[in-house]
Amino acid sequence: MKPVMLVATRLARFDLRRYLVGALLWMPVSVIPLAGGLVLQQLFDHIGGHRPAALEQALWLCAAFVGVEVVRGVVIVVAWTYGVYWWAAAATLLRSNALRSILTARGAAATRLPHSSGESVARFRDDVSDVVEFVDESVALAGAALFGGAALAIMASIDPVITLVLALPMVAIGVLSRLMNAVIRRLHRRARELGAAVTAVLGETFGGVLTIKTAGAEEAVMRRLREHNGRRRNAAVKDRLATDLLGTATGATVEISVGLVLLLSATAMRRGDFTVGDLALFTSYVGWLTALPRTIGVILYRLPQAEVSTERLTRLMAPHEDAGDLSRNTGVWFHRQRPAVPPPPDRDDALEVVEARGLTVRHDASGRGVHEVDLRVRRGSFTVITGAVGAGKTTLVRALLGLLPADEGAILWNGVRVDDPGTFMVPGRVAYASQVPRLFSESLRENLLLGRRAGDDEIERALLLAAFEDDLAAMPEGMDTVVGPRGVRLSGGQLQRATAARALVRRPDLLVVDDLSSALDVETERLLWDRIAHAAREGSGPETLLVVSHRKAALERADQVVVLDRGRVVGRGPLDELLDGCAEMRRLWSEELVTEAEESS
Amino acid sequence: MAASAGDVLRHLRPGPRSAAALTAAVVAATALPLAAPQLTRGFVDDAIGGASTRHLTLLALGYLALAVAGQVARLLTAWLASRLAWDGTNRLRERLAEHALGLDMAFHGRHTPGEMIERVDGDVVAVADFVVAFLMDVVAGLLLLAGVIVMVLTIDVRLGAVLLVYCLLIGYGMARAQRLAVPSAARSRAAGAALFGNLEERLAGAEDLRANGAGEHAVNRFHQASAALFHAENRDARIGTTLLAGTSVAFAAGTAIVLGLAAWTRQSGTLTVGTAVLLFQYTLMVRAPFERLIDQLRQYQTALAGLTRIGELLAERRTLPPPADPRPLPPKGPLSLELDGVGFAYADDVTRVLSDVTITLAPGETLGLVGRTGSGKTTIARMVLRLYDPTEGAVRIGGLDLRDADPASVRARTCVVTQDVQLFAASVRDNLTLFRPLDDDHRLRAVLADVGLGEWLATLPDGLDTELRGVSAGEAQLLAFARAFLTDPGLVVLDEASSRLDPATERRIEQSVDRLLKDRTGVLIAHRLSSLSRVDKIAVVDGGRIVEYGYRHELAADPDSRFSRMLDMGQVRR
Repeated sequence: MKPVMLVATRLARFDLRRYLVGALLWMPVSVIPLAGGLVLQQLFDHIGGHRPAALEQALWLCAAFVGVEVVRGVVIVVAWTYGVYWWAAAATLLRSNALRSILTARGAAATRLPHSSGESVARFRDDVSDVVEFVDESVALAGAALFGGAALAIMASIDPVITLVLALPMVAIGVLSRLMNAVIRRLHRRARELGAAVTAVLGETFGGVLTIKTAGAEEAVMRRLREHNGRRRNAAVKDRLATDLLGTATGATVEISVGLVLLLSATAMRRGDFTVGDLALFTSYVGWLTALPRTIGVILYRLPQAEVSTERLTRLMAPHEDAGDLSRNTGVWFHRQRPAVPPPPDRDDALEVVEARGLTVRHDASGRGVHEVDLRVRRGSFTVITGAVGAGKTTLVRALLGLLPADEGAILWNGVRVDDPGTFMVPGRVAYASQVPRLFSESLRENLLLGRRAGDDEIERALLLAAFEDDLAAMPEGMDTVVGPRGVRLSGGQLQRATAARALVRRPDLLVVDDLSSALDVETERLLWDRIAHAAREGSGPETLLVVSHRKAALERADQVVVLDRGRVVGRGPLDELLDGCAEMRRLWSEELVTEAEESS
Repeated sequence: MAASAGDVLRHLRPGPRSAAALTAAVVAATALPLAAPQLTRGFVDDAIGGASTRHLTLLALGYLALAVAGQVARLLTAWLASRLAWDGTNRLRERLAEHALGLDMAFHGRHTPGEMIERVDGDVVAVADFVVAFLMDVVAGLLLLAGVIVMVLTIDVRLGAVLLVYCLLIGYGMARAQRLAVPSAARSRAAGAALFGNLEERLAGAEDLRANGAGEHAVNRFHQASAALFHAENRDARIGTTLLAGTSVAFAAGTAIVLGLAAWTRQSGTLTVGTAVLLFQYTLMVRAPFERLIDQLRQYQTALAGLTRIGELLAERRTLPPPADPRPLPPKGPLSLELDGVGFAYADDVTRVLSDVTITLAPGETLGLVGRTGSGKTTIARMVLRLYDPTEGAVRIGGLDLRDADPASVRARTCVVTQDVQLFAASVRDNLTLFRPLDDDHRLRAVLADVGLGEWLATLPDGLDTELRGVSAGEAQLLAFARAFLTDPGLVVLDEASSRLDPATERRIEQSVDRLLKDRTGVLIAHRLSSLSRVDKIAVVDGGRIVEYGYRHELAADPDSRFSRMLDMGQVRR
């Protein structure tokens, strides 16, 4: 089955009862116009004088016409209100599955996400609604088909020849839709891509607003936005024109059909075989009948759109996952809370030694990344990874944690090869404080816990270890203070210490820290390392540390320093050994000493 | 006070030629379908009257031609309308982006880039759809309606009058009902913005979440936000569809009244059967645009809600009022800096971030700001760059109060290198010039070589035109330095600029930094005291106040000074 059809079937079936009841409720909306047409036929035959001209009866028929509409109106309200749940649930299902895959599935997420988070958001928003709307259209199709069948039967009973001829333009419109498929698909994809580009430009612009403002580059950035806007406009207008062409063709079909009825009925009408009432019924049905080819047209138009969207959404999923995983029924929780995540099960693989063997990550054609790195971190040790800019320190750490896919090599935990580091190197084994930390617009407590169950005393201990206690005391609402992009502004150092606390509260065996100290001043940094070392000795903090740093304080503490140069290990061992035997270490160290000692009065 | 919808829509107004073309298309799309039923009337009456088949066939063919031409006119209208809508909404997007860019950092601190995307693009997309639909369904629909009423009036004044009154009633009712629906649509849109804002933050922090085993929890939070969106949409849908169904019924009642009146008039013999058919076709004809209009009701609501939010964004006032009589900073040479009793608090916050900060730098002097993280160093730097105006006291550069200085000259004459380097998905060239045209590749190369990125540049496949990807934090920092070198500022702020640089790399650009600071006034924030070795003055900041201030060599020599104690702790030779 094509991925898009698999997703469509799954979306229809994940809450089959609601989908079917919703569809059944919607059916009458399409079918009721049949009655409207019959009422009109009677009415016009009265007016036309083929029946005894009773005014009273004509007025009753008028009332009946209104009555039919009232019933239809009530059905619309009921069916639509009922359908909202299905629509929202289907969208949530796709979105939560994609999100879960990005955040928890095996394999690295970094390679799957688009370049900018704005573009990712566009996928979650627009691609999902394209797919859901496509499935939603199936209900309209069923209704239109039902109406079409019944209407054709009624019309055939009045005049089979005209009915047969009327089917021709309907078939034509179907064929035309099919032919325009490819064009619409191509135009739509292009419009979508250029739309996403505008979104990405906006995201970047507002992400870098400080840079732009301080450089006074607003005008240039606006010019860039205008260029992208212009390109998107041209593509969108073409996209819309193609869609409208199809719509116009359908509209023209109605008119041509009415014209055909007139042409064909001319003789019969003169004879009186074809009454004015029949004409009214035919003209009224012809309008509704086009709903069938029109809906087919819409579906044919939405199908390629949904295919593109399914493909793009599936690309967000892990390599081993497919459209089936995207649309798996993992539950929707609109009326009650989704059960909280259970705490991880106890494990019996407490860290003894973690190793990387021959770890290789090739970033791109430029050949940067890390190459054949061996690393061995024993329990209770303090390992520092150091090296010049672009030496691959962060890449190495991310590959070790499974955040980047390794091209070659293996990671071993207590000598056992780790199948998928991305899902294995997590708390309680490992916790990570990244180089560019992110907090979310939530309370400080939520940001630290992120679903972990821990008492305030545990949080406070982690905050103390991370030397955050003074900052906490200064916060207006303590741990309930909302931080992050839409909350209280934290300085760079506060952000990094809060991130360290987030890792510490998870009580990992191994704490991985990427350049934590870069935004900390001398006093705070010293305090932080002292406290973490003290906690390790007491057994109340992580025993094993893997730290990316180039600073004296960290290097001097290290049991083992790993020196990277252009992606390769050029030295490992205690600092003093390296200073004897490793040229790159000597170079880095002397630069550091010069920098730190350069102070002269 | 939010800008009115009218103010917002002003940006959407097309030029005169486009407007004329569109008007012509709309008139054709209205007139052609109006003419067609006249032929049907002739057809029915003549058929009953026993006219020749040839005559009837001609009438039918005429009908076909008119109707198809009407469809073509409609297509043309749609094409023109979508072009105009895109032009107009692009103008609006650009206006919004420009306005938002002009807002201060406190505003941007409160709004994520994801939220801004939703507000600058999402809301405008809703408006764009609305404008096309408005031109197509409302304007063209109302024109058609007016045409039909005029036609019916010429047939029978009483019938026409009834139709007119009825349409006015429906129109009034719909307008009232829409106002009812706008708040719920706004709520549902706000819930949507919250959901996608939440999502954007999670996707941007995906690695933090994964590595800390918090993925499942984030999915839980997403479900909560989705539930909130569902409940908002549910309420919105209930109101929206009730209006839709109500209008539909009201319209059917209108058709029934016209037909009832036709039947009554027919009995008195003043109306032919063909005319009754014509009346019916006309009512069907107005029904179609009316139904489309109602079908679009939700979109209108969304668009109105979007318009409201756009109005709100445009109503956000700049907290940095442009000077009444802008005076430029001195165009050349280093600039003096004076912070005179500066105090600052965010507009929405009572907590004072800075109090009584007084600093004086002669042209060419450099100042080191020292203090714990969060003590207010960055805020001081932002005051110097006029990202905020002080709530007390004054900031003067080159002797000129920043509030009186020409903003363009402030941007040109001051520059900053921050720790969080923002890079753009664009070429190396654009990342350096920030998209400003600069046809001097030689200079760009020289600057990159100066900061130690010469070799890096040589490895790039397309040189300066290479799309920037996979840059390490240190390289990004070097690029930020290169940006600073490209301008010729008289005052430089280095905010934790070298914190991510390795000693080796830092050495490479150190000379360049020296050169940047040579003959320029500088404010440096660095956590490594060694980075402050070259400054003339030191200010120690604590809790938003200057607790120690003086010449560096004097403070370093005074064993009781805070600065001196810090040097000891950092084991830095003084």
